[in-house]
Amino acid sequence: MGLLRRLTGKYRTLSIVGMAKNAGKTTALNYLIEEAMDEGIRIGLTSTGRDGETLDLVTFTEKPRIFAETDTIVTVPVKLFELADAGLEILRMTEYGTPLGQILICRVAESGYVQIAGPLNVRDHKRLCAEMMSLGAEIVLIDGAIDRKSIAAPGISDGVIIATGAVISRSMKKVVEETLHIVGLYSLPELPDGDTRRRILESRESDQIMLFSADGGARTLDLKTGLAASRYLDEVIDGDIASIYIPGALTLSVVADIHPAKFKHARFIVKDATRIFIESAPWQHLLKKGFQVSVLEAVKVAALTVNPYSPSGYSFDHEVLLEEMRRAMPDIPIVDVKLGGD
Amino acid sequence: MRLANSKTKSETGFDHVIQNISVGTPFGRKALKEIEPFMPGQEHQLREELAKVAVLLSAVSEQPGKIEILDEIFMEVKDITQTVGRSAGNALSVVELFEVKNFLIQMKRISDIETALIQYIPKELILADTTAILDILDPRKDRINTFYIYDEFSEKLASYRKEKRELELEIRKYQKELRQQIEKTYGVSLTPRFEILISKANADMLEKVRAIPELEFDSEDYMTATYALRSNEAIFAVKRKMEDLNVLIEDEELSVREKLSREIARCGDTLLRNGLRIGELDLILAKAKYAGAHRCVEPEILSDHRVSIEDGRHIVVEEILESKGKAFKPVSITLEDGVTCITGANMGGKTVSLKLAGLVALLAQHGFFVPCASAGIGLSSYIHILIGDTQSMQRGLSSFGGEMEELKDILDQSRDNALILIDEIANGTNPVEGLALTKSIIGYLDRRKYITVITTHFDNVAVGDRVRSMQVRGLAGADMEKLVRELRYANRRERIEVIAKYMDYRLYPVGGGEEIPKDALNIAKMLGIYDEIIDHAKQILIKGGN
Repeated sequence: MGLLRRLTGKYRTLSIVGMAKNAGKTTALNYLIEEAMDEGIRIGLTSTGRDGETLDLVTFTEKPRIFAETDTIVTVPVKLFELADAGLEILRMTEYGTPLGQILICRVAESGYVQIAGPLNVRDHKRLCAEMMSLGAEIVLIDGAIDRKSIAAPGISDGVIIATGAVISRSMKKVVEETLHIVGLYSLPELPDGDTRRRILESRESDQIMLFSADGGARTLDLKTGLAASRYLDEVIDGDIASIYIPGALTLSVVADIHPAKFKHARFIVKDATRIFIESAPWQHLLKKGFQVSVLEAVKVAALTVNPYSPSGYSFDHEVLLEEMRRAMPDIPIVDVKLGGD
Repeated sequence: MRLANSKTKSETGFDHVIQNISVGTPFGRKALKEIEPFMPGQEHQLREELAKVAVLLSAVSEQPGKIEILDEIFMEVKDITQTVGRSAGNALSVVELFEVKNFLIQMKRISDIETALIQYIPKELILADTTAILDILDPRKDRINTFYIYDEFSEKLASYRKEKRELELEIRKYQKELRQQIEKTYGVSLTPRFEILISKANADMLEKVRAIPELEFDSEDYMTATYALRSNEAIFAVKRKMEDLNVLIEDEELSVREKLSREIARCGDTLLRNGLRIGELDLILAKAKYAGAHRCVEPEILSDHRVSIEDGRHIVVEEILESKGKAFKPVSITLEDGVTCITGANMGGKTVSLKLAGLVALLAQHGFFVPCASAGIGLSSYIHILIGDTQSMQRGLSSFGGEMEELKDILDQSRDNALILIDEIANGTNPVEGLALTKSIIGYLDRRKYITVITTHFDNVAVGDRVRSMQVRGLAGADMEKLVRELRYANRRERIEVIAKYMDYRLYPVGGGEEIPKDALNIAKMLGIYDEIIDHAKQILIKGGN
């Protein structure tokens, strides 16, 4: 049984995100499409918004065209519709607009290449996926952001497939380590329902650092972001503080000046794993000191795809890379997008 | 000549009503944007228009389910005017054809609703039948709004596509058979792309794969070699044939699009006319729903120039009051040719009454129901409200200068059957000249065949036989003790509201000799101006009186 068949029961929408540029996201997507073709799974194909990818919009160069089999449900903006090589039956003109025109939901009538695009915001995206499913898609694959750092929001899909590969580093050990690190971040515990969570959700719009003390007290700091505010944080985190909500990015500079002894009683809270910008080695170092982090929204890692080729010319042995990855992450399905199988 | 300028439309609140008319279709929006008033002489047409609104208003209450369906369809209607225009001489794109088909299906649904509501729909707004063109764009007749250059459009196209699919299958079948055969014979497995990747470290395997005649070397790097299924002349021939077919398919699709575009162009006029009808029906229905939601009634259109309002409510002010949980006190007023003066207390709503007269007249002349218990409207040729504004100050004119400039416009543009509404003219200059000017303006306007309403603070300005005086009662009948008590416990913002609560906004006709109530000092005192100042003012009044 192929990867997609196994995931179809568990997830309705899956976004495919790359660990870095050229980590093989498109190859991974094509792999899943081919699998769907072989197994007769009717898929929906869409993508996340195009923020930060304006160059692609203008030149149309880098945006990969995807080969879509008959009966696949795809989302195509009006201006890309005429460029499709596939025969597309227009099922619905949606209200979701993009710089390339309104999004059309189409059924592939004659297989061929097509450029897909989706709406720009999470809410529209969710509604679009629901519409695709109501039009017959068994599972919707979302071509996610180019690298992990620019994922619009993990909340967009039920699970993510992370594309990783040789591009991360020339050292296979490092590739495995960094991938494991990201998977680890995605598996951070979700802040349970309760007073703290409720208060954060209520005042999330204000984008302010919030401090919660053990006896239930809460206060906000005037600091807009944690960047370069580490020393100040160290001052305000006293023995009573049980948790700190950081609205923006959690970087090394945020925690650098905080006395490590405080990590043991003060838990950090961030929106989701994509807000954490700390590499594997320093992260491990922090954990050893007792650093604790919770997220408001956990992200399910549905599978990993590995690409042993790097565009800069070097590559790893397929079998060895796959084996190393599986040893490090035995609970997650991992496939080599070139070799197939799993 | 236009009926009213944009400032009059905005000051009276007419624009506000227009903005709140919720039309659903782009055609309706266009009709609303280009709405034209009915002018004197068009009384008959206006009565017909109002009758249509009345009938649709009854449909809203008697057939709410069908009206709701109609609303839903309206929301989905897109403007296809441009596409229809392009259909002549161009091949419409697939997206455009989809939009036209969509429009045709919506027209069919609107048409079905019209049939079901036939007794409510004006005859001239019944849509022309477009089943024939819909059948052309929907050859399978499944009436679903999806579109594709279906095989049914052209036998040729269908056969090309069939051939192409067969060739694809042929290649795929060949590849699959070959894969099976290789996997069985040599014990290696191929990827879904019919490739095999071998690590260069695995020399045995490399040797083995190299020896398989059905595979050919595809690419390599220093770690891995990739082998793919070997193509043969037969496969190449099939692929060439598919390329030829692709060209034929594209040409045939174009000719189908050309044919469909021609058919659309042929009935383009009907489609556009139906669009206009949808727009008109949309607008009349929106007028009816607005009337229902805002308790508006059908005005009686009179043959003589008269504006008679029974228990009128100024919708904009009413909305503000209602949002604060308060009710608007209705105003009744009857205006005829000649000058009517509205006098009365400060904060007495004189200006609101003036605006109300303009709003009701404008609404009626645009075929809207009016926010009154009843109303009789004779059509005006020109409506203008002169009201203090900030624009003239921004232009560097004093308020008096701006006012005089606008008054000149009014005098120049007014003609018989004008409705002129003037708010406190000449109050920005010295009272001696101001009073003289006001009297003189009143005298001039009174000799014209205009309806003029002037609000003023001045006493005894009602000169001339035909000048009528109306007065706002203000606080005259209010229980002052209670009012003062309530004020004592009110904070600053509440004070104005408390006074407003005790204010009697209704207008009463008064004889020429009556003095207007002197509420200004009372109100100033209630709002906290020091006793020292108020008392002194009273002394000055007494001295002046002596």
